[in-house]
Parts: sequence; structure tokens; C-alpha cells
Amino acid sequence: MKKKLVSVVLSAAMCASMLVGCGGTTDTAKEDTTAKEETTDEEDTADAGEKTDAAASTDFSGEELSILVSAGWMDNRYDETIARFEETYDVTVDLQAIPADQYDDLLQSKLTTDSCADIFWISSNPFAVDSVIVDPAKYCIDFSDAEWKDIMPEARQASCKAADGKLYGLQIWHNSPEYVMVYNKTMFEEMKLTVPTTYDEMLAVCEKIAAEGVTPWFMPGADGWQHPLAFFQIGGVYEETTPGLYDGLNNNTATFANNEKMLEVLNQYKELSDKGYFGEDWIGTDSSNMQNEFGDRNCAMAMANSSYIKQLQDETGSTDEFGLFLIPLGDNDTYPTNPAGPTMFGYKGTEHPELVEEFFKFVTQTESLQEILDNSPSYTNLDVNDDKIEQHWLPEEEAFMATVDKTKMATSVLQTGTKYTNDYWMDWSADMVAFCQGTMEANDVLTNMDANRAEAAGVAGDDAWK
Amino acid sequence: MSESGGKVNKKRIYPNWFLIIPLLLYVGFFLLPSLMGVFYSFTDWTSRSTDGVSFVGLENYVEIFTSNKDYVSGIFNTLKFTVVSNVLKLIPALLLAIMLQEKMRGKNFYRTLLYLPSILPFVIIGLIFKSILNYNNGLLNGVLEFLQLGFLKQKWLSDLDVVWKSIFGLDAWRGIGYVMTIFIAGLSTIPKTYYEAAQIDGANFWQRLRHITLPMLSGAIMINLVFGLTYGLKVFDIVYVLTNGGPGHATEVMTTYSYQLYSSGQYGMATALNTILLIITLIVGVFVVRKIGKQEVQQ
Repeated sequence: MKKKLVSVVLSAAMCASMLVGCGGTTDTAKEDTTAKEETTDEEDTADAGEKTDAAASTDFSGEELSILVSAGWMDNRYDETIARFEETYDVTVDLQAIPADQYDDLLQSKLTTDSCADIFWISSNPFAVDSVIVDPAKYCIDFSDAEWKDIMPEARQASCKAADGKLYGLQIWHNSPEYVMVYNKTMFEEMKLTVPTTYDEMLAVCEKIAAEGVTPWFMPGADGWQHPLAFFQIGGVYEETTPGLYDGLNNNTATFANNEKMLEVLNQYKELSDKGYFGEDWIGTDSSNMQNEFGDRNCAMAMANSSYIKQLQDETGSTDEFGLFLIPLGDNDTYPTNPAGPTMFGYKGTEHPELVEEFFKFVTQTESLQEILDNSPSYTNLDVNDDKIEQHWLPEEEAFMATVDKTKMATSVLQTGTKYTNDYWMDWSADMVAFCQGTMEANDVLTNMDANRAEAAGVAGDDAWK
Repeated sequence: MSESGGKVNKKRIYPNWFLIIPLLLYVGFFLLPSLMGVFYSFTDWTSRSTDGVSFVGLENYVEIFTSNKDYVSGIFNTLKFTVVSNVLKLIPALLLAIMLQEKMRGKNFYRTLLYLPSILPFVIIGLIFKSILNYNNGLLNGVLEFLQLGFLKQKWLSDLDVVWKSIFGLDAWRGIGYVMTIFIAGLSTIPKTYYEAAQIDGANFWQRLRHITLPMLSGAIMINLVFGLTYGLKVFDIVYVLTNGGPGHATEVMTTYSYQLYSSGQYGMATALNTILLIITLIVGVFVVRKIGKQEVQQ
């Protein structure tokens, strides 16, 4: 009996201590909230400069700001700015860089389980905010009235807005030629090759390069996100072949399936794969070694950004000259116009909404933008409305842009010009590999994209798919 | 009778009502969500279902078995993994356990060495082995070339004929030590006198294994089998970190598909896939426990 009594008393004591612990936390939290509310009221009456100082010295001290981002979207370019932010506000920033092939799934899981970081990134485009974040009003802080919003050109703002017209994101990205063909000009000259402008010419060039024991086109298939670019960056050629295709795809009156041009491009891609022109094991190769492969002259071409030239010359010490040309699959001659890019959003469920807002304000200051550009070997410019920024355009970029017909720049790339397409990038990537390995048919790859887009449209309640 | 009952009660450390809290937690956080999952598998629940969900009958199940996405191959791959991974772990682990039960120098060292991979997280294993198994710059192909065995080089994670073997191999490397430890615990409970008597009767190693070790070890075998089957059926980590279902969709399993469906907000479909997994696990689990349980009773 005594033992029973002791056990009951001990259990009661344990429960009571737990409750006391919980109660204490709540009180503290309440005090914190009250303190913050009071401070916010005070802030409203202060001017902007004082506000920052007050915030830095009192409000945020000791807080932690978490950022969830896919590897490669921030790299080291934000390090200096983040360090300055930490110092200014006496806070710590927890940067969670997730491998690219896992990021989309992880972000969705985090959002749907209400466990997201204070700031998260998506690869955005004019349709992505609704389709990727699904319910932006629920998950994102509304920045429609933010003073920094006009730092972004209108085209970029479109990628930060949802269908409800509200601005949720911030996109700081460059405006260089993206994912066109970068080639070793010196090697081309040595092999007496000319830049291919059609698929047949590309095939002939690859054949000659491969005969020299060099990988013609370095394709990092293991990354998952790189190889689909060969298909999607040439969206203009699909639209040219079937005028109105983009509208049709967005209104659900056209499909990927049975599109002749798309089938042609997929089959051309497979032909290059089958002939080994992407390297011996492109499906198992990631991009981590791409620079060395270029530097060691083991490959002659790859899809990359124009800024990649400077980066690889700096990091490999290569004295070779490099140039750019348009991806010639499907005899493409259109420029990959793309208003999209990695975009950051404030998570509505954050415990530090004011700190998140301060961060957005902080990174859009001229000093921060210049830091971001200067610390980005892969950027040559920033597409922002700030004349005080010193841009770093490359001569190769300027030379390439001079060769592109301006009328061929009207259509944006397929993944951002059509709804729900970009959301299934990794599914497409896997399908494309399956097609190249002979376990899927080309038209099934296209049909799957239609099915996926229909699913996304169904989830989004898109009227065009009802 | 009442005296003996009283004695039993006195020997009890905790009273029965101590079960209430764990039971409530089990029902609230395990049983109820599982049943709700089954219920939601018959609905059109998505991340956009703000106005509630609608009953759609077997639509999700029909979609799973008829969709272009080939969920069926995911189910088949899961079953294949379950069978192969258990065979590859149980048999070598049993032989290793028997070997390391004998008097041999350094057996504790070998036991530790074999057990060590089991404590490594899958994420670490994935990162390390993705690098080791890389075709162009990986350690494995590098060593093979160094040993003049270049003809054995493989595209370990990108060749359709090899990728499953890589997963099975790595899974066995990680799991054998754990299975072996359970077998060693089981082996240590078999009285040595049985073996001595059998030896006097002239029984060889295989006869001793068949007539003494295996029957006396049925408890440990059942534990390993049940653990192995449930692990195999819900396999996710090793596939996710090594291949993420690739190349293409060659190594997709039920849980990777389920993860993708959850991620894209198709909760109804995802729960339907999980319900299929639950049914398969129940059937296999009940069958194994009954079969081996019956053998134990017979002994």
C-alpha cells in the first residue's frame, strides 16, 4: 500500500513538474511577444534608420534566422552579406543547403507539416508561386507593400507574385544567357570545326570530337536537373513549329504528347546518348567535375551560363578561349529568354516575422546587392533596378548576344512559359533517363508530362482542366 | 490458490493501470492515424482540399494499378528487395554468428567490426558510397583498375543490370552485423551438451546445424525474419540516398513513390499506396509469425 502511495505521489510530482515547465515557457513566450509588440509600436514612430539601429541593438539580439535553400542557389555569394546581417542585428543565420535532387520534395514536406525554415527558396517563374507553394497565402509573408519591391524589374516581379496578385517573393538573379552551349573555341579551331547551327551539324561535330578521344558534350545526368535543360531551353522552336502551342498548353487545349517537334528532339537526344557523345557514363556523372573536365580538355562542350567561362578559366587556369552558341537540337535558333530564377520567400509560420522582413530589406540595399554580385563568380550582372551597381558583363556575352536575332528572343523557355511544367522537372528528368536507357518510349515521356500537369492543375483547381 | 495469486501480484513491479498511458499514446499516435490513413485512401484529399474531402471509392487504387507512372513496378521492386535483402543478410549472418561463436582469437574484434556499419546513418552511407561507386572517379573502380582488374569496372549506380546489385550489396554490408548479433544471442542460449552428445553420436557440422542449431534458433530466426520483412517492405532510406529511385525509375519502391505523392500534395493517392503496403505487411507478417510459431509449438 505504501509503495502504491509513493508511486502515485511520485507520478503526480512528475506530471506537476512537467506542467510547471510548460507553464514557464508559455509565460516567457508571452513576455517575449508583449515585448515585441511594444517595440513594434515604438518602431512605427521612429524613422527608418533609427528603426534598423533599434532593431539591431534590442529586438533581435540572440535570435536565429533559418534559411532553407537548394544547393547552388545561394552558394557563397550571400556569405558576406549574411555575416554583415548577423553582425548588424546580433543574430545567427542557419543556412540549410539541401542537395538539389532532394530539395523540392523536402520543401513540400516542410510546408505541409508546418515545419519550414523562416525563409525558403523555390525556383520560381510566372506560374510557380501558386503551383509550387500551392497555397502562398497560407505559407508566405505578403510583401506587396514592401519598400524594396521596385528593386526588381517587372518581369521578375511576375515570378514573385501569386494568382491573387500579391507579391510574396524576392528574386535577385542575373540576366545573362542561361544554359546555352559553352564550347572550347581553341579546341574547335585546332580540330577545324565550326559552330553547329543545326542538329546534323552538331552530330558531325560530335563525331569528330569523339574521334579525338574527347567527350563532345559533357552531360551531368546524376544531378538530375541539368539534362532536361537540353529539351526545355529550346521552347521557342516548339512554339515556332506549332504557333500558339504555349497558349494551348496553358489552356489545356494542347498536349506535349504527339508533338512532332518534341518527339524529334527527344530522339535526337537519345541518339547522342546512344553514340556516347555525352560521355561514357553521363547518367552517373554529376557536375562537380565539369570544370576540371573542361580545364583538362577532356570535354569540348556543355550547357552552362555565359559566366561559366570566366569561372572555369579562373579556377582551372585554362588559357583556352571559350565561346557560346545556341543549343542546336531540333535545329533550334531561338534564344532561351527566361524571367525565372531562384526566389526567396518569408515563411508565414515563422517565429521571427520582423527579422525575416529585415533580412529582405537588408539584402536589397545597394551595398548588399553589390556584395552578392562581387561574390558570385557565376554572375556577370544583376537584373535589378539599381543604377549604383557596378555590373561585370563579359566580352563573350556581348559577342554572343550580337549574333542572336532579336526576333528570336520573344518566347520564353518551355519550363517557365507554360503552367505546371517546371514543377515536374525531376519527374521529367527520370523519364528522360528511362527513355535513354530504353525502358520508356519517347511519347510516354511526353504523355507523363501531360498527366503530371493535369494532376497539378487538379490540385490547384485550375478551371482549364475541369 | 489465492495465496499463490497474491504472491504473483507481489512480484509485479508495476500495477496494471500503468498500461493506460502507453496504451492511450499507442492508440492516439499510431493506431488511429493508421486507420485514418486507410480512410483517407478512399478520398480525393489533396493539399488544396480546403473545403473538405470527398469519398471517391476505389479510384485511387484503380489509378495506382493503371497509371502511366508504373506504381506496380514500385510494388514489385519492394517485394523483390524484401526477399533478396533477407536472403542476403540472414544466411551469411547465421554462418558468421556460428563462426564467431566458436573459440577463436579476436572474435570480439570481428563481431564489433561486422556490427559497426549498422550504426552508421543511411545519409552518411549514401554520401560516401555514391562517391565510392562513381564510375569515372570512384574508389572502387579506381582500385579495380589499379589491380589490373579493369574488366570488372561497372557503372554501379547507373547501369540497369547492376544498380539493384549495388543496393543489395550495400544493404547487406550494413545489415549483416545487426542480424548476426541477434543470432549470436540466440546461439548462446543453446546448451553445449546437445552438441557434445551429437558429436559423440558422430553428427557432422551440417547435421548439427540442421537438427540442433536451426530448431533451437527458431526464436532468433523469427525475430530476424519479422524485423527483416518489415524493414524490407518499408525500405526507403537506402534507395533514396543512393539512387533516389533512378536511373530513370529502375529502383523506385513503394515508399519513394509515396514520398513523391505526399510531396506533390496528393495525400489521397499517397495514403492508398501506403494502405497497399500495410495490407502486404499484414499478410506477410501474420503468415510468418503463424508458420514459425507453429513450428516452435511442435518442438
